[in-house]
Amino acid sequence: MPSTGPRADEVRAEFHRLISQPGHAVDNARMAMETLESALAEGVLTRTPEIDQTLADLRLALEQDDGQKLGGKSAEAARFITRRLGQLIDAA
Amino acid sequence: MNFLGRGPRVSDEQKKRIPPGQYFTEKWPVLHYGSVPRVDLKTWDFKVWGEVDNPFELDWAEFKMLPRKPIHTDIHCVTRWSRLDTDFEGVAIQTVLERAKLRPTAHFVVVHAEQGYTTNLPLDVLDDDDVILADMADGAPLTPDHGYPLRLVVPKRYFWKSAKWVRGLQFTQVDKPGFWERYGYNNNADPWKEERFSE
Repeated sequence: MPSTGPRADEVRAEFHRLISQPGHAVDNARMAMETLESALAEGVLTRTPEIDQTLADLRLALEQDDGQKLGGKSAEAARFITRRLGQLIDAA
Repeated sequence: MNFLGRGPRVSDEQKKRIPPGQYFTEKWPVLHYGSVPRVDLKTWDFKVWGEVDNPFELDWAEFKMLPRKPIHTDIHCVTRWSRLDTDFEGVAIQTVLERAKLRPTAHFVVVHAEQGYTTNLPLDVLDDDDVILADMADGAPLTPDHGYPLRLVVPKRYFWKSAKWVRGLQFTQVDKPGFWERYGYNNNADPWKEERFSE
C-alpha cells in the first residue's frame, strides 16, 4: 500500500521535479537520490527490496573515483534508473 | 565518408555486415557507466556457479593456463556504432561450460562483472562458436577501459551483453534481467532485429 500523507506526496513531487528539471542528468540524479534516501531514512516513504536494488544500481552508475571521469553511459543510466525509481516511489 | 554521410568510406561488402540503424567506425568508442575499476591480478578471480555440477573458481594464473582461441568478428553497440574486423583472443566459452558440467536445468546465464554490473543471456546464445572470454583485442591485452583483464565477447548481440571486467558466470533455471535489461534495454538485443530497447 503506498505511503500516504502530505510529506510523502511532497517527496514524490520533489523527486519528479528534480529528475525532469533542466540540467545534466547525472547532477539531477544525484540530487534526486539524496532526496529519496532522506525520505526513506525518515520513513516518509516505504522502503521495498526493489527500491533498494534500484538505488544501489543508481549509486553504481554515478560512482566516480577520485581523478576519474564518469563513464559515457552514466547519464543514460541515470535517466533510465531515475525513471524507474519514479515509478517505484509512486507506488511506495 | 560512409553511406550514412559520416565516418570512413564503407565498401559494399562491409555495408552488408552493418546492421540496420548502425554506422561504421574504425574507432573503438569507450562507453560504460561509473568509473573504470582498478583491478589487482593478485586478488582477481573468476567464478562459475549455479546450475552446474562442478562449480569452480580460477585465479589469473589458472585462467591463463586454459586453452586459447582467437576470433575475428564485427561488434555492434546499441549506441549505433559498428566496428568491423575486430580480433579478440581468449578462452572459448565451451571450455568453461565443459568444465562446469552444466545441469539440464541450466537455461540462462547471469554474467557478473566488477562493481556489481550484470547482464543476462540464454544458454543457447552463450554457447556459440564465436563466444569467448577475451583478455586480448587486436593483438594486445585489453586496455582498462575496454575491460582489462577480462571481458565476455558475444558478437551476435549488442555489445552491452559483452560485459567488461567480467568476474563470473552464474547459470540459472530462469532468466534474470541484468543491469541495463532492468531499466529498459531489450532483453534479447539482436542487432539485426534492432532490439535496442524494451519500450
